[in-house]
Amino acid sequence: MFKLSDEGINFVKKELARYETKRSAIIPCLYRVQKENDGWVSPESVSYLSELMELPEAWINEVLNFYTMFNKKPVGKLHVQVCNNISCCMLGARELTDHLCKTFNVKPEEISEDGKITISKVECLGSCDTAPMMQINDDYHENLTPGSAEKIIKGMLNGN
Amino acid sequence: MPKITLNGKSIEVADGITIIEAYKQLDEPIAHYCWHPGLTIAGVCRLCVVEIEGNPRLQIACNTVVQDGMVVNNNSEKVKTAVKWGLDFHLINHPLDCPICDQAGECELQNQYMEFGKYDPEMAEHKVKKRKVVDLGERIVLDTERCILCSRCVRFTNEVSKTNELGIFNRGDRSEVGTFEDKPLNNKYSVNTVDICPVGALTSKDFRFRQRVWYLKDKPSICTGCSTGCSVNVYYNEEGIFRLKPRFNKDVNGYWMCDEGRDIYKHINKENRMVRGRYKKDGAWCSTLPLETAKKAGEKLRTYSADQIAVLVTGQYTNEELDVFVNYAVNKLGTKNIFHWKNNPDGWNEFDGLLLRGDKNPNSKGLQKVLQKHTVGGEWKDLVNQIDKFKAVVVAGPENLQAYPDLKEKIGTLARLECVVWATADDNIAFEGLMDFTYLIPQKTSVEKSGHFTNYNGLEQKVDVVTTLLSDSLNLEETVELLVGESVDMSQREKEDMHVMKKNYFTTERGRL
Ligand code: SF4
Ligand code: SF4
Ligand code: FES
Ligand code: FES
Repeated sequence: MFKLSDEGINFVKKELARYETKRSAIIPCLYRVQKENDGWVSPESVSYLSELMELPEAWINEVLNFYTMFNKKPVGKLHVQVCNNISCCMLGARELTDHLCKTFNVKPEEISEDGKITISKVECLGSCDTAPMMQINDDYHENLTPGSAEKIIKGMLNGN
Repeated sequence: MPKITLNGKSIEVADGITIIEAYKQLDEPIAHYCWHPGLTIAGVCRLCVVEIEGNPRLQIACNTVVQDGMVVNNNSEKVKTAVKWGLDFHLINHPLDCPICDQAGECELQNQYMEFGKYDPEMAEHKVKKRKVVDLGERIVLDTERCILCSRCVRFTNEVSKTNELGIFNRGDRSEVGTFEDKPLNNKYSVNTVDICPVGALTSKDFRFRQRVWYLKDKPSICTGCSTGCSVNVYYNEEGIFRLKPRFNKDVNGYWMCDEGRDIYKHINKENRMVRGRYKKDGAWCSTLPLETAKKAGEKLRTYSADQIAVLVTGQYTNEELDVFVNYAVNKLGTKNIFHWKNNPDGWNEFDGLLLRGDKNPNSKGLQKVLQKHTVGGEWKDLVNQIDKFKAVVVAGPENLQAYPDLKEKIGTLARLECVVWATADDNIAFEGLMDFTYLIPQKTSVEKSGHFTNYNGLEQKVDVVTTLLSDSLNLEETVELLVGESVDMSQREKEDMHVMKKNYFTTERGRL
């Protein structure tokens, strides 16, 4: 059963106190859950959060499903999100994604066999001027080529 | 009070109401899906658009408050075009399963399409496929493809039942209504979501695929499921009753009713009824017409002296019936030993805060009033305490046996008496436990007679004959008249019954498919 750390619980309580309605605190709390649950939000963790926040599960689920930055399925240790919106695509983001998937032997949105990596296609990350780009966990990596992207990821995988 | 003009007609309305409410007051047609008078405003379907003079853009009528001097219309070409396109958007991903959809015939999407449809689809993209036949628990099936995302059902669970199970998940054209992880929608008022769903996305397990709605007629009545006495419409045809839906009544139930109340039609239908009168002789059951059974019972009953006779009565009959029944019991049978049988004395005063009450009788208040008038009326336990002094009992039994889970136990006690005369609408296996000199007299149900029920709050509400299912069953008034040896002229009533029954053949006369 998923449970937040004591620190996480305090975080939720603080967020709840911060807004006029409890509903407004759902996004930050979901982020916290995602962080403490290996990068994704499971149905059990929604039920848990629902009890903790005293909000209906359906309300939390509405927010969870609306935003793509919450992962509804498990992801690898490295979550590589390659922007596939217009600017990036014009500069080869699709080819870049294909190259990475082939190199690391994983299908888009799926988790690699060793559990180390997930590559997903996402919409514009607001960094068009440095297209093509990707986000690995919390960090942006910009002005990529298939070669440079591969190198960055390999470096991080070996560092792990 | 603001004066406004709607479609060329002027009307004076209360301050602060919305344009759509003014349209409703005028009885002018206006398209709408998401607005519902019993819920808050969502303004998401964009079908109720109107043109307001002096305002360059169309506005939605459901979320615009009237102002003095407003000139509004919803019949200009501009409005019609907007509605047409709005409707086209609603239909982009709609599956059009009308032939197999239960809502067909009472579907707002169909109705509006007849009025505003473009009749010429221009969509080149494929429809987005979504989940069909999602099981939402005991009473409800969801088809997410048919849903037009009006959010009425979501608002119902948030605002009325306050159970918050439903939500709209995902976004864009993948938006889907549902419960978290498809959990069952088992709240006590769940089927109201089916009623307010303007399309066939939420359907009732009990009703789906059983009748095409155009083969049903409906008449107003009162739910007899508990002492709240919600106003309902009863949907029926010559085969029987198929469903109950709530009817607006601002003093009692608003727009809603509970799920339990929707089931009462089941015990009213023929399958569960006591069709023939029955009596037990030499250990075997014989059956006759209800009228004959009542006469036979009367003959036997009159061999006892008044103080050997007890009377047990439930609050399941109309005021008119109870008035005669108790009066005859006191003055003609001569007994003061009259007892009020309650379904669950312990939970009698329970109330769930919305509608449902523990007193599962439509007319306990009315019964109490009649008993007081004659200064009689003990409880079940009083009857048990003095049971040895009685030889016979007359029971005005419950029509809704499901509401009386202690039936078998009570029958066990009463079987100790020499003679049991039991007026009942329904048959039940528990009656087998009764001995010789038992008389079971078939009764009419609440939809087959007219009269009044007094609800928990003392409000007297009228019921009329909706339909006749078993024409030779008796009402309680006729039953007691026969018991004391008076004659009852059935011919007039039979004529009326036949008239009602004939009228119900309207569907077959028009022809089946
Ligand atoms: S299921 Fe029906 S009531 Fe609920 S949002 Fe969809 S169309 Fe509206
Ligand atoms: S609350 Fe009572 S009267 Fe109303 S529908 Fe339910 S059972 Fe019937
Ligand atoms: S399109 Fe890739 S960051 Fe904007
Ligand atoms: S009824 Fe006004 S927007 Fe739906």
